[in-house]
Amino acid sequence: MEYIIKNGTVYDPTNKVDGEKMDICVKDGRIVEKVSNNATVLDASNKIVMPGGVDSHSHIAGAKVNTGRTLRPEDSKKDVWQKEGLRKGSGFSVPSTYKTGYQYSGMGYTTVIEAAMPPLIARHTHEEFVDLPQIDKAAMPLFGNNWMVLEYLKNGDLNMCAAYVAWLLKATRGFAIKIVNPGGTEAWGWGKNVHGLDDEIPYFGITPRDVVRGLAQVNEMLGLPHSIHVHPNNLGHPGNWETTLDTMDCVKDIKAKPKHGKRDTVYYNTHVQFHSYGGTSWKDCVSKGVEVAEYVNKHDHLMVDIGQITLDETTTMTADGPMEYDLHMTNGLKWANCDVELETGSGVVPFIYSPKGPVYSLQWAIGLDLFLHANSDKVILTTDHPNAGPFIRYPRVIAWLISEQYRKDWIENRVHKWAAQKSHITDTDREYTMYEIAKITRANTSKVLGLSDDRGHLGLGARADLAIYDIDPEEKNGKKIEKAFLEANYVFKDGDIVVKDGNVVKEVFGNTIYVDAKINEELEAELMKDLEPRFKKYYSVNIENYPVQEAYANQWEPINIDATEIK
Amino acid sequence: MKEIVFTVKKDIDVPVELDSLLPVKLQEMSAEEIKKIELPQGNKKISVEELFNLNIEENDAIITPKVTINGSSMKLKRIGEKMEGGEIVVNGDAGMYVGAEMKSGKVTVNGNAECWVAQNLKGGEVIINGDAKDYVGSAYRGDWRGMSGGKITINGNVGTEIGEYMKKGLIIVNGNCKIMPGVHQNGGIIMINGEVEGRAGGEMLKGAIVINGPLKSKLPSFEYEGIVEDPVIKLTKKDEGTPVKGTYYKYIGDFVNNKPKGQLYLSVEHNDLTC
Repeated sequence: MEYIIKNGTVYDPTNKVDGEKMDICVKDGRIVEKVSNNATVLDASNKIVMPGGVDSHSHIAGAKVNTGRTLRPEDSKKDVWQKEGLRKGSGFSVPSTYKTGYQYSGMGYTTVIEAAMPPLIARHTHEEFVDLPQIDKAAMPLFGNNWMVLEYLKNGDLNMCAAYVAWLLKATRGFAIKIVNPGGTEAWGWGKNVHGLDDEIPYFGITPRDVVRGLAQVNEMLGLPHSIHVHPNNLGHPGNWETTLDTMDCVKDIKAKPKHGKRDTVYYNTHVQFHSYGGTSWKDCVSKGVEVAEYVNKHDHLMVDIGQITLDETTTMTADGPMEYDLHMTNGLKWANCDVELETGSGVVPFIYSPKGPVYSLQWAIGLDLFLHANSDKVILTTDHPNAGPFIRYPRVIAWLISEQYRKDWIENRVHKWAAQKSHITDTDREYTMYEIAKITRANTSKVLGLSDDRGHLGLGARADLAIYDIDPEEKNGKKIEKAFLEANYVFKDGDIVVKDGNVVKEVFGNTIYVDAKINEELEAELMKDLEPRFKKYYSVNIENYPVQEAYANQWEPINIDATEIK
Repeated sequence: MKEIVFTVKKDIDVPVELDSLLPVKLQEMSAEEIKKIELPQGNKKISVEELFNLNIEENDAIITPKVTINGSSMKLKRIGEKMEGGEIVVNGDAGMYVGAEMKSGKVTVNGNAECWVAQNLKGGEVIINGDAKDYVGSAYRGDWRGMSGGKITINGNVGTEIGEYMKKGLIIVNGNCKIMPGVHQNGGIIMINGEVEGRAGGEMLKGAIVINGPLKSKLPSFEYEGIVEDPVIKLTKKDEGTPVKGTYYKYIGDFVNNKPKGQLYLSVEHNDLTC
């Protein structure tokens, strides 16, 4: 099928296209230079055209998402989704798989990365991916509290650690190294936590600093497409901004050497909003968003996503078990905790971010502080779905960023006065341009993930994943912006029209992306000598049954990396 | 006002959901329109015409919109769900969720009721003249925000976990009650005039449970306060209080929680302190 999209206002930051009126040709699933006369013409005049959205951090599938669904039947009841010809679904903050796919697609997103996959339960994650339509997806296995990693790092054996990381990525069909509360979830197994970068991890005797640095080095030794993806210690605790800056700073001497993609950063700090709190308690907590944003602006080695609070009732879920326990003790609501043998653990707690709550309003303002004071080349829009808010609120976050007037309306009429008092959001009248919105939802994400060769831009040869929004680039009415980005006019996935006016018109099943890093055979043999007895002794499954089989995807999209030089 | 009378004319296997037959809404509709209303039945639909004989009577004596369902059975679910006014009289049994999430108005069932009577009730009144099963006046599954107002009267017996997570309002049971009335109760009053099987007020934080019959086994996590005569139950500082006639052993609990304020009253006549 051939298409020509005429006269759209195009925003494609990767190719430095800033609001130019141009035609885009689509043929055989790719962006091409020209099409034949038979091509279907789509008139996009007075509309904007962007590449398909790429979300680098969202919890959409897997064990803990499903625990959230099980824990919260009342969330399912809140939003029941049924549209003619499509699978039904339900759930507001933890939607069912089909609903997740349809809604992402309706907003113009085409690639979404699941942010935390317990390796042992990788098969569950991939099973849900199989039933997640419309988008390409990938999952990041958790490494920050893994016994094998901790032991190799304790012994200073980076080569073996690299071999293990490569083996695990392949076995679980994972995409990148995710680190959650390094050492803390392991300490939680001993009823403890770690509170700073230099606290000792029980039993192993190393520190979170060793884990982050070690895995960052391993990441660059292997040359993985994405950098380490870090959720530092002390999430959500007042005064944690110093830990955050320490963690960011501890890897600045490492050089990026990706063997795939164009990434130039070695560190990705996810949901940095939760990590930018000043003060010593919730009573004297203040925003350190500006300070953190300044650090991010000044340094080239890192990229951050925000995790913007959307002030909704949602379900928090993270592999940071001890943090979830603290949260449960604060709000007194039900919780679930899940320990994953030698690898990781997680917790789930419902949470109501009420706009009337002083702390929640401040959290909301801290996210916006970060957005408004950071260089738009360095930040990424997320809500850490569903932790800070469900992904269907992205359009609202975009509206807050684009329209100062809409933001003011919320500050003055909707949220608690702490938002303005304890942050710097009223100090600036910055408004994001459409070009910047395209950066924080497309260009930056695809680049930092190492997927910018064919995603997140509209250059020749790129995947024909694109979104057309019916909106004037100068629009400042918050409600209108929200609606336009919630219900994309047209969305293309691999050259097919999948969404029309926010409604899914064609169901497609995307690829599952994973990294296949080839390691030296001798090293692998040595690794197996290490792993086999461990599985026999400590794991509840045999090593033969551990890897995810071929059948667990609609279509695999491997990224092949040659790391055989590690000996 | 019109009285709209539905009489069941055929036996059904698969339950039908009647939440669209609300008195206020039906007042403004013609007989033909009402007959065409489609009701969900499993994964299919059934029209009012197929299921009921419809009879509309103009009656000046009726001052609120009224719906009567004759020959009802447990297969008719969600009667009066989300109702915002008017009156529904059910002659026969009522299926699950009768009066659920109701805001105001009155539902009377002249028969028995299935589970989830008046789930998450917000206001209005529900009267069951027969027995009711489990979860009378409870929260939706998983939710911790339960019934927030209104009054439920059950003239027969009830099942387990009535008033689960109840926040406000009143539940009166004139018959017996199975285990765990007022589990997780967070306000409101539950009054049981018959015998209770046990575990009254498990994990309750606030509110009151008054048991005028015997409580067969009391939870050990309730603290004895003393004997009270004709107590006035105050649920909050500003509450004027609800007077109750009788002599009771008063307990506070449930002490599995921190600082609980739940009140449990057991009639001296039917209960023994040593049990």
